[in-house]
Amino acid sequence: MGRAKGLKTLVLGLGNPILSDDSIGIRVARAIRQRFDEKEVTVLEASLAGLDLLDLIAGYDKLILIDTIQTVDGHAGKVYRLEASDLDATLHTSSPHGINFTTALELGKRLGMALPYEIVIFAIEARDVVTFSEECTPEVEGAIPVAVDMVIQELNSIPGS
Amino acid sequence: MKKIMIEPITRLEGHGKIDIFLDDDGNVANAYLQVPELRGFEKFCEGRPVEELPRITTRICGVCPSAHHMASTKATDAVYHVDPPSAAKKLRELYYSAHMMHSHIAHFYALAAPDFVLGPTSDPAQRNILGLVAKVGLEIGGEVIKHRAYAQDIQTVIGGKATHSVCGLPGGMSKAITEEERKDFEEKARSLVEFGKLSLKLFNDLVLANKEYLELITGDIYTMKSYYMGLVDENNKVNFYDGDIRVVDEEGKEFAKFKAADYLNHIAEHTEPWSYLKFPFLKKVGWKGLVEGKDSGIYRAAPLARLNAADGMATPLAQAEYERMYQTLGGKPVHATLAFHWARLIENLYAAERLLELCQDEEITSPNVRTIPTATPDEGVGVIEAPRGTLYHHYKTDENGIVEKVNLIVATAQNNPAMNMSIKKAAQGLIKAGEVVTEGLLNMVEMAFRAYDPCIACATHSLPGQMPLEITIRDTDGNIVDRLSR
Repeated sequence: MGRAKGLKTLVLGLGNPILSDDSIGIRVARAIRQRFDEKEVTVLEASLAGLDLLDLIAGYDKLILIDTIQTVDGHAGKVYRLEASDLDATLHTSSPHGINFTTALELGKRLGMALPYEIVIFAIEARDVVTFSEECTPEVEGAIPVAVDMVIQELNSIPGS
Repeated sequence: MKKIMIEPITRLEGHGKIDIFLDDDGNVANAYLQVPELRGFEKFCEGRPVEELPRITTRICGVCPSAHHMASTKATDAVYHVDPPSAAKKLRELYYSAHMMHSHIAHFYALAAPDFVLGPTSDPAQRNILGLVAKVGLEIGGEVIKHRAYAQDIQTVIGGKATHSVCGLPGGMSKAITEEERKDFEEKARSLVEFGKLSLKLFNDLVLANKEYLELITGDIYTMKSYYMGLVDENNKVNFYDGDIRVVDEEGKEFAKFKAADYLNHIAEHTEPWSYLKFPFLKKVGWKGLVEGKDSGIYRAAPLARLNAADGMATPLAQAEYERMYQTLGGKPVHATLAFHWARLIENLYAAERLLELCQDEEITSPNVRTIPTATPDEGVGVIEAPRGTLYHHYKTDENGIVEKVNLIVATAQNNPAMNMSIKKAAQGLIKAGEVVTEGLLNMVEMAFRAYDPCIACATHSLPGQMPLEITIRDTDGNIVDRLSR
């Protein structure tokens, strides 16, 4: 299956490339970039959050975000497929530094920005996101091919030509 | 006391935590702020060429990468004993003025304003930027997004990348700007000046015109006396990019004025077993604990501190606003922690005016933006005013420029002692024995912390994409009686 003509898809890897497992979103994005023609899919990487993401994602129809997550009793290396609505639990909160992603999306929508109508998030459970290192922990390193496959499957599932 | 337990949706190690301890009567005995710390940065830098550090240090943080880039670039100038050409310094300052606005605009509209426009104890579902936009109008929201984007565009063009710039080199900048780019910047700068004025007008109409809010700002629970630190130019006016570091005492008298290279003679760091983050203090006054007063070496950094430490602003509109603030709040220095918000907007206007001045500077498109270093590298300190306070980068290298030692004193750390004290004072003033602790009250405790615009780097880009903060209230035995998480 191919990508629909005229449908603009953005794959966005988030994280810090020198902070151990926090780099996973960026590593997966880099692997995706090698597999697809840039005319088919735009692949970007960023170390941003909330409000700063709005400008990056405006103008795309579909957004695939890849990021780290840490959940209660989570197993490092597990890959979750989430949708934007899964993060609604954090919508109605204020924050000491920046606004969360769902709030930013809602703001963008109300301001009439052309934001993706479909957002899928691949979140990889991290073990260490506080140590500066260019290496991931082994469990998380091992999750890269799994996450890459899931993102490819997602891209291929987009209905179209 | 009603027991509230809200489980956090994630278990991020990046939690900011406020622990409030009650005495036997149920009043607040103490309060502590704990923030996590990233590990191993010095070790990561050791053994690398020092000119790589301006690119690596931007990765410390997703919130103020440009501040680290500039402090680091200036430290490499010092390591190589090289003085950049005048056009390079101006270009750096232009870039940096845009960064300051990018940060200050977000803080005011997303974080500070909702507490005032919606009310500090209003429904938290509304007390955010969405509620703010609903109340002040969509067009203001559009202006916020547009001007943040302008500030970002300017940084992107000069910095070479959207977030983690690569423009600064020892001795100057990697490339000059073209006339076409200059014209574009000038147009954006004009619009940013107007937006800077509009933001202060909003603050005036929505916050200052409300007697209750003015009383809140000047009230005792949000006031603490301290020393103040900030960079000043040769006329003792606020400067974000360069100058001497000036410290004034709680009466506003100059206590010290020094060059970046002398920072270790003036700043020392106290450690506490319960905190990762250190407690910087004025060495010549000494550490007396988390206490106010002239004998306590605790100082504050960031917007209000910079205005207190200076004699004024170097641009006309910001100077007029500076004078109005001190007139309204009863003269210099101002000790009201919530006035950091006002000072931040005055700085925002100054940054816009300075940006416009630099865009109109004849030298700004000069291709002469680099002095090639020729001296043997050894050691150097770079200083800059990050949006959230004075930032020091100090590097030592071998004769080949390979990093042997890195020491950073980051902006948020400098306000760590003051944030702890401000939180305690607010908690003591707000939480009383026998009274229900509401979310609104805890938000008002948090307002004492939020005014400083602290940056807790590691939580800024892991999902869910906002800094988690947990407030816990404990009794004398350490049992949790109340908790609020975001």
